[in-house]
Amino acid sequence: MRTIIRYGVLSAWILLMLLPSPGTAGYKKAFEDEFLTKPWAGEQIEENLCISCHASQKMQPEFQEITEAWQASWHAQNRISCEHCHGGDPRDAALGMSRARGFLGTPKGKEVPEFCGKCHIGIMVNYLESGHGKALKAGGKAPNCVVCHGSHNIQKASINIISEQLCTKCHSYERAKIMKVALFVIEKRIAQIEQRLQDLKREGIYTGAEGMSLFSTQAEFRTLFHTVDVNLVRNRTDEFISKLDQIDKNIEDAHQKLSFRKNLSAFFMMAFASMGIIIFLLTKIKDE
Amino acid sequence: MLTQIKTWLDERIGIKTIFQEQVLDYRMPKNSNILYTLGFLAVIAFATQVFTGIILMIYYIPHPDHAFRSVQDIMTRVPYGWLFRQMHAVGSNLMIMVAMLHMATVFLMGNYKRPRELTWVGGGLLLILTIVFGLSGYLLPWTQLSYWATTVVTSIPATFPVFGETISQILRGGDHVSETTLSRFFALHISILPPLYLLLLGIHLFFVNRIGISATPFGKVDEEKRPLTEYIRKTHPDGYPYYPRFFQKQMYMMMAFFTVMFFIITFLPTLYFPDEANVPADPFNTPQEIRPAWYLIANYQLLKLIPNKFFGIVLQINLVFIFILWPFLDTQQEKNVMKRPVLRGVFFTLIALWVVLFWWGRA
Repeated sequence: MRTIIRYGVLSAWILLMLLPSPGTAGYKKAFEDEFLTKPWAGEQIEENLCISCHASQKMQPEFQEITEAWQASWHAQNRISCEHCHGGDPRDAALGMSRARGFLGTPKGKEVPEFCGKCHIGIMVNYLESGHGKALKAGGKAPNCVVCHGSHNIQKASINIISEQLCTKCHSYERAKIMKVALFVIEKRIAQIEQRLQDLKREGIYTGAEGMSLFSTQAEFRTLFHTVDVNLVRNRTDEFISKLDQIDKNIEDAHQKLSFRKNLSAFFMMAFASMGIIIFLLTKIKDE
Repeated sequence: MLTQIKTWLDERIGIKTIFQEQVLDYRMPKNSNILYTLGFLAVIAFATQVFTGIILMIYYIPHPDHAFRSVQDIMTRVPYGWLFRQMHAVGSNLMIMVAMLHMATVFLMGNYKRPRELTWVGGGLLLILTIVFGLSGYLLPWTQLSYWATTVVTSIPATFPVFGETISQILRGGDHVSETTLSRFFALHISILPPLYLLLLGIHLFFVNRIGISATPFGKVDEEKRPLTEYIRKTHPDGYPYYPRFFQKQMYMMMAFFTVMFFIITFLPTLYFPDEANVPADPFNTPQEIRPAWYLIANYQLLKLIPNKFFGIVLQINLVFIFILWPFLDTQQEKNVMKRPVLRGVFFTLIALWVVLFWWGRA
């Protein structure tokens, strides 16, 4: 009888608790729908009207593709949004594309270096002093930023942008190839150090300082490249190598620390295991 | 000199009598096994957490602008800081595992039955407190992993209608996980939970000591195959002395605990530190995968699977209640769960379900 009462009370309690469920099925539906995906990203990032409008069905397909291309870009990964390049106000539908708020839709070819140079200042200066930049300013046929890097689907820059397919659109590949070879040593080291830093991070070592140092070395080197001056790149290669050597040395030191840590904790492990075995054997001896 | 100190203490607090009664004359059940040391291991794990936690607290700064950096400084600049942090992080996970195992073995041996219901309730509450310890400590390094895992966990109460949002807001101190949340979790982790844990532990040990250690329902000794019906302190006069035999068992299990801890630190140092654990928290950048800590993955997965979130959360709260109050619901006389096919089936099904949900949630 007591069992029946106990389980009766339990069942009644569960029923009482669960009864409101159907009544609350629609409760915060939006919250529930998004619970399975990423409900909190939307809460944190303010609505961007450029994206919502461009992604909508009323937009022509070529304009819709812009948002998709941007979403897959290096800019998007680094949270560089429409207004950072094009100006305007992504929170205000009426003034979103207002010239008064600095909006510029599609810059003309000559305007592109200044358009990108708002952020990439050093690169712009070197580019404008280069053969490419001078030719562009002179009004001739010359590559601006988007010719090599693309516009909305911009990917992380790499040495592979210098390719026969791309360069031979304007001139022979010979000079470009010489530049690529000159860049190769440093770019390869940068890629290796990036990987080593990544590995170190996975081992639980904070690599913020080395990461920043690598970033600034890489940025400085790539800025230099935009002069398209092979001799300048060659002359300063040793300077960059010594900077990268220093980062490598710090990584090596971190690896040594990791190795010491591993040995020390392995020693503790062995010490505790040995003590455990000794105590266990002592117990067995006493039992016998 | 030593004798004088002993005599001085004995005159004042009766230390010789306490030692004689609680250590030398204390008898363990004949068929007690190493599973009986799990409670002791949980206490050792807690002591390790207190010791390493105090060292970490000296260098840790509970502010979003400094928390991540201060933890990285502990890992790289503070002498042996990495060791204490690793011991604290690995230890917390092992502590939860040990406490879970302790509860599971006590359940399987039916040692929650009359008159040990309150001992079980105390143990269950201690397990919940241990998990809350883990949860509150998870946020403190202020990494992408900890930030978003805490966002997930503090969002769960919001599924309750009417007052759910308020509970979430109280936990976070606002709409989102912020510096207020960090302060609250830090205060909870270091100044509210430890005394609460010690209080509950004291009560739990008082019950264990008052009623006496229970024998297992397995093996030859059959004196405890049925629950006690009146208060008799179980002294096991035919058992073996706590010291040195059981004490030795406790010691080698303690060594095994630290061996496992240092095995993880040596060979699997990133087991509890995936890539996101090395990136500072960024409230504007939601990671692709958001998961709570391993001990809540199964619950989170269950919540994701049930379309009605209110039903999901109420179901889980009920399961916790049933788990804590189980001794009052179980009316069968048989202590050995292995001789009760239905209960045994339910128990192992639940374990299997937990494992499936855990792997599913991890995938």
